[in-house]
Amino acid sequence: MNERRRLVSVLTVLALVPFLLAGILEARNQDAPKAPGEQAAVKAPEQETAAVPRPPKERMAVYVLLAWVWLSIMVLFWLLRLRVREADRVFQMGLRRTAGKTPEGQGH
Amino acid sequence: MNVLRAWIEERLGLRAVAAFLEKKEVPRHKHTIFYYTGSSILFFLGIQIVTGVLLAFYYQPTLAEANASVARIVTEMPLGWLLRSVHSWSATFMIAIVFVHLLGIAFTKAYRKPREATWITGVLLLAASLAFGFTGYLLPWDELSLAATKVGTNLPKAIPVVGAWLTGVMRAGEDVTGDTLSRFFIFHVSVLPLAVIALLGVHLFLVQRHGMSVPLEEERKGAKGPVIPFWPNFAYREAGVWLILLGLLVTIAVFAAPGLGPQADLMAPAPEGIKPEWYFLFLFQTLKLFPARILGLNGEIVAVLIMMAGMGLFAFLPFIDNRPAERKGKVIAGLVWAGLAYAMGMSIWSLL
Amino acid sequence: MKLLYSLFSRRAFLNSLIGGWLAALGAAFISPLLKYIVPPTREPDQVSVPLAEVQDLAAGSVQGFAWGNKPGLLKKAEDGSFIAFVGVCTHLDCNVSFVAEKRRFYCACHEGWYDENGINVAGPPPAPLRRLAVSVEGDALIVKKQG
Repeated sequence: MNERRRLVSVLTVLALVPFLLAGILEARNQDAPKAPGEQAAVKAPEQETAAVPRPPKERMAVYVLLAWVWLSIMVLFWLLRLRVREADRVFQMGLRRTAGKTPEGQGH
Repeated sequence: MNVLRAWIEERLGLRAVAAFLEKKEVPRHKHTIFYYTGSSILFFLGIQIVTGVLLAFYYQPTLAEANASVARIVTEMPLGWLLRSVHSWSATFMIAIVFVHLLGIAFTKAYRKPREATWITGVLLLAASLAFGFTGYLLPWDELSLAATKVGTNLPKAIPVVGAWLTGVMRAGEDVTGDTLSRFFIFHVSVLPLAVIALLGVHLFLVQRHGMSVPLEEERKGAKGPVIPFWPNFAYREAGVWLILLGLLVTIAVFAAPGLGPQADLMAPAPEGIKPEWYFLFLFQTLKLFPARILGLNGEIVAVLIMMAGMGLFAFLPFIDNRPAERKGKVIAGLVWAGLAYAMGMSIWSLL
Repeated sequence: MKLLYSLFSRRAFLNSLIGGWLAALGAAFISPLLKYIVPPTREPDQVSVPLAEVQDLAAGSVQGFAWGNKPGLLKKAEDGSFIAFVGVCTHLDCNVSFVAEKRRFYCACHEGWYDENGINVAGPPPAPLRRLAVSVEGDALIVKKQG
């Protein structure tokens, strides 16, 4: 039970990190959006095309997508863990997929 | 369903492959974690192919349209910016894991007999991966990538005899032009993928044929150590690793999406702050350190020759390290550590 | 009500859970991916053609203009008014031309013919040429979708 609780808390922290990062990056963006354009007077006056979409609705959609991606990853990870545990148990019992093999004593 | 399976089995005979995979075992020891690197590279390669094809739907590899088409993908197409960001970051992740894979092999001396051929194909795959990065970097055709390509394609000139010709081959002439872009594009989407597929085929075949190697200290223990069956135990673990990598990739791609600089102008002076991609930084810094003239020779030529010598030694490491268990092996391992420290130090220095 | 036998095995249940969540993970990317692969190319709402370009057009003759990505055709009627068509054959999308001597539109791909009002009269085209609404506003012709 202890181990599971630890796992859940680690996963929750991991899930919160993206939002934390988003906040930090957002703050930095608002403070200095034009700074790189002011230096290097040699550069052409054309702006660098920003890569991240600006409209607020699209940004929310992307964060929702990200949250969904992490949620499904965590669920899949947990399901895989079940499978891995099962496969390990089966292996330790000495049973292998190929029929007709006598179980060996050693095999961890 | 079973009828379909029987039909396929009768014609393709894939049962043999499945049987092989069921018997395959992965040794379990303190360096087992390195065994995950190979499939992770494959995972990122798959992502690169898919995202690359999608980007190529709208990318136009001509002088006039390249930059504008990338701008269009990034601003107009739904999630185009994310697609490009994933492609760019996945490239970095893939090359990073290629290096980890390489270091794992070098330190556990997995290249020793009979796996020398696996090492050689691996070194060629490394070269192909770096070539992918180099050719891809030019494709957005913005100021930075043009400048980085000019510098990068200038380097071969320092090689004696064939240098200038090599640069001419890379640039499609003396200067970087629209022809260079076409050439880099076809290398990036056709020549290199075909080469990688061929090399990978050989590399993977050799890996399966020889099985997973164990570090020297494990081998010395004599008896066969503990193992994990590849299927399904190790394979499910690999799937878990892939999931984590996918999550990290998408997260970084969302929050650190690359921007696009203004269109490159062949006549304009070089912009400030040009630097190559991170995996070339240590070479870049090494070149900067060499004085213009050494013992009467052009400093750059000496630097390039030394680099090529280093690469040659590296490529033939299994043949040089023919006594890995003895003192010579330990010395070489020390030199590899030193090389790693040098590369990391130089890379960090170039960023300061 | 207690079931005597389970409806499906634990293995099948877990398999479908894994498959389902993988599908869910993929589904998040499917919708934007489909929009990326087939971007919606909308026709313009309206196009304006400066009157100066078509003023000198003889009655009964045709001039082309750009209707988004498709060719548009402006025909000056005997009374000086304009009618506009989308110059794309209704058979298999080839661009049509105007044959002045015959006062008909012609599609070279499969020899389809339309009369001067765009009605399909000969060959494979199944329907008339699509009409666009034309109005004069100031010093330009405004061409809009009909209806």
